[in-house]
Amino acid sequence: MLAIDFAAEGVVAISGRLDAAQAPAAQAFLDRVQGTVTLDCRNLEYISSAGLGVLLKTQKRLLASAGKLRLAGVGRHLQDIFSYSGFDQIFEIEPAQ
Amino acid sequence: MSEAAQHRQLSALDLRRILGVTRALAAPFDLTTMLAEVVNAAAQVLDAERGSVWLHDAATHELVLKVATGLDSVRLPAGKGIVGTCARTLQIINVPDCYADPRFDPALDQASGYRTRCMLTLPLVDHKGGLVGVLQVLNRKGRSFDGDDEALAMALAAQCAVALQRVRMTEAMLEGERMRNELEMARAVQLSTLPAIMPIVPGYDVHGLFQPADLTGGDTFDLAASADSLLVVLADATGHGIAPALSVTQMQAMLRMSLRMGASLETAFTEVNNQLAETLADDRFITAFIGQLDLATHRLRFHSAGQAPILHFQATTGTCARYKPTSFPLGAMPIVSLRPAVTLEMQPGDILVLLSDGVFEYHDPDREQFGENRVEAIVQTHHGKSMNELAALVLDEVNSFARGAPQEDDITMVLVKRAAQETTLSRAFARDFGALNAIFSFTADAFTRLRVDAALLPTIDLVVEELFTNMVKYSPESRAEVYIGLARIENGVEVTLTDHDVEPFDVTQSPEVNIDLPIEERTPGGLGLQLIRRLTDSVEYAYSREDRQSRITIRKTQPGPQSPGNAAKAGGRDAGN
Repeated sequence: MLAIDFAAEGVVAISGRLDAAQAPAAQAFLDRVQGTVTLDCRNLEYISSAGLGVLLKTQKRLLASAGKLRLAGVGRHLQDIFSYSGFDQIFEIEPAQ
Repeated sequence: MSEAAQHRQLSALDLRRILGVTRALAAPFDLTTMLAEVVNAAAQVLDAERGSVWLHDAATHELVLKVATGLDSVRLPAGKGIVGTCARTLQIINVPDCYADPRFDPALDQASGYRTRCMLTLPLVDHKGGLVGVLQVLNRKGRSFDGDDEALAMALAAQCAVALQRVRMTEAMLEGERMRNELEMARAVQLSTLPAIMPIVPGYDVHGLFQPADLTGGDTFDLAASADSLLVVLADATGHGIAPALSVTQMQAMLRMSLRMGASLETAFTEVNNQLAETLADDRFITAFIGQLDLATHRLRFHSAGQAPILHFQATTGTCARYKPTSFPLGAMPIVSLRPAVTLEMQPGDILVLLSDGVFEYHDPDREQFGENRVEAIVQTHHGKSMNELAALVLDEVNSFARGAPQEDDITMVLVKRAAQETTLSRAFARDFGALNAIFSFTADAFTRLRVDAALLPTIDLVVEELFTNMVKYSPESRAEVYIGLARIENGVEVTLTDHDVEPFDVTQSPEVNIDLPIEERTPGGLGLQLIRRLTDSVEYAYSREDRQSRITIRKTQPGPQSPGNAAKAGGRDAGN
């Protein structure tokens, strides 16, 4: 399952699985954020191309209004996925500690 | 099929009547004669006044009326009326009172001057599930059609479809002038009955191989899985050319039909034998192994009509037990009393090895035969390999033994292995996005049960999700379930997705996504397949045109993405851009 909510000023925490079944809920939430937002991915266990689509759409929208989406706490597996999909060229990515 | 039809037990008498029809249907090679036979047979078996056959024209998606007294050619769009509904749903339709049914079109009655009272309409579906045509039986004498009639009609329809399919194939070959001689036709008939893709059998590895001799013999095999059992057949008809090829095809059709209709192994074996005894020339017969493996108890019951040796490799001892036939060859004479079936207990790691004479009797230039001991030695040495590999190894050994001596007889092998430990799990899922959560539960559970490293699970979930959602998206017209299988391999896992009733789509050929485009031009399309290629060791694609079945096989092993192999693949991506 997936949980997504504001954690602090400008920080959205996402946890669980961002798969095709959960993508619509994540999209609905991210459609409401504005400005520069850090997505805390420390507890994001899983992402598929449906989830990548959600992040891409959000980034396009935010960049158009001088904002952006940053990805923080990105673990090894997610880093592979972001680099193999070229998302490391689209997002600022901060690896997990 | 209605409930009555499903629950009815087929009596030996019914079976005899239908097998008698099968015999009549085995002879004609032209469509007109065959269709007349089909309609006659239907009317006779069901005690009806008349019948008609509509053939499916796949090119125009129309149904064409081929046999009905006093009418010229009639064409209907598939999907319209009772005939069209039957063609679309592939379900039997029993109309007890035609003029009270709004779907009934009285135009044909008006044209022919005949009054249709009641009607049974049923699809003619070949053994691979494709629509061949629609059979209608009109006006049962004395009453309307009941559930028993439906069951009989379904059995008959299965036989008619196989026969029609054969005639169509023959006609197509004649038209194309591809059939240069009788032997080529014999081979085509023979090949058409073999399974195109091996069935998926949970907990088992099954493989069949057929390599025809130049002078085609009469071998065949069958591996057909149902929910709780596996039918295992290996047969060899005497002689070479068209006659034995047709005999084994006929035997296989009779057998499949008998068992599908719920006949016991004994009844099916006896009745098929007795029918063949009447049909086959006095000097012809068929040796056949016919077994049923119960997938819950792992007991394999078999009858063998002169087919031997039957080897049972037993993992606990590392040796092979050999079994003799239970009866004389099929068709040699009627069976008066049948000895009881033999039951084998398939323990983990056990293999049933069935090979035709073409292997045992292959001789080298000095006329020495390959023999049973060589086969047994190969099985003992290589029992840990996959059955596909084992079959190839036997073939290799035979070839090197032969030292160039020609293959004089068909070579056929059927190998059935019970997995040594639980190494494979598979399940079917509804073709629906809503199945995703159930799929993830299945993969997580399978990883635990198969003892696969949990670090690989996110990658496998990604593979399965991307491929499954593609299948749902791009083949919405198919209603078939999608099969997902997981197998433990050395240092990793192999995942298989099998998609039925679909057009081919080779995932290995999908274009690379240019990941260096500026963000405005990036879309999520194609990313899933790209990720799969990057994250896994190998991706294979296979398609069976006859079954309209796609299968994707993906392997993933440790160590993770930091391994040299994957680094090289990542490098390849950069070089490609």
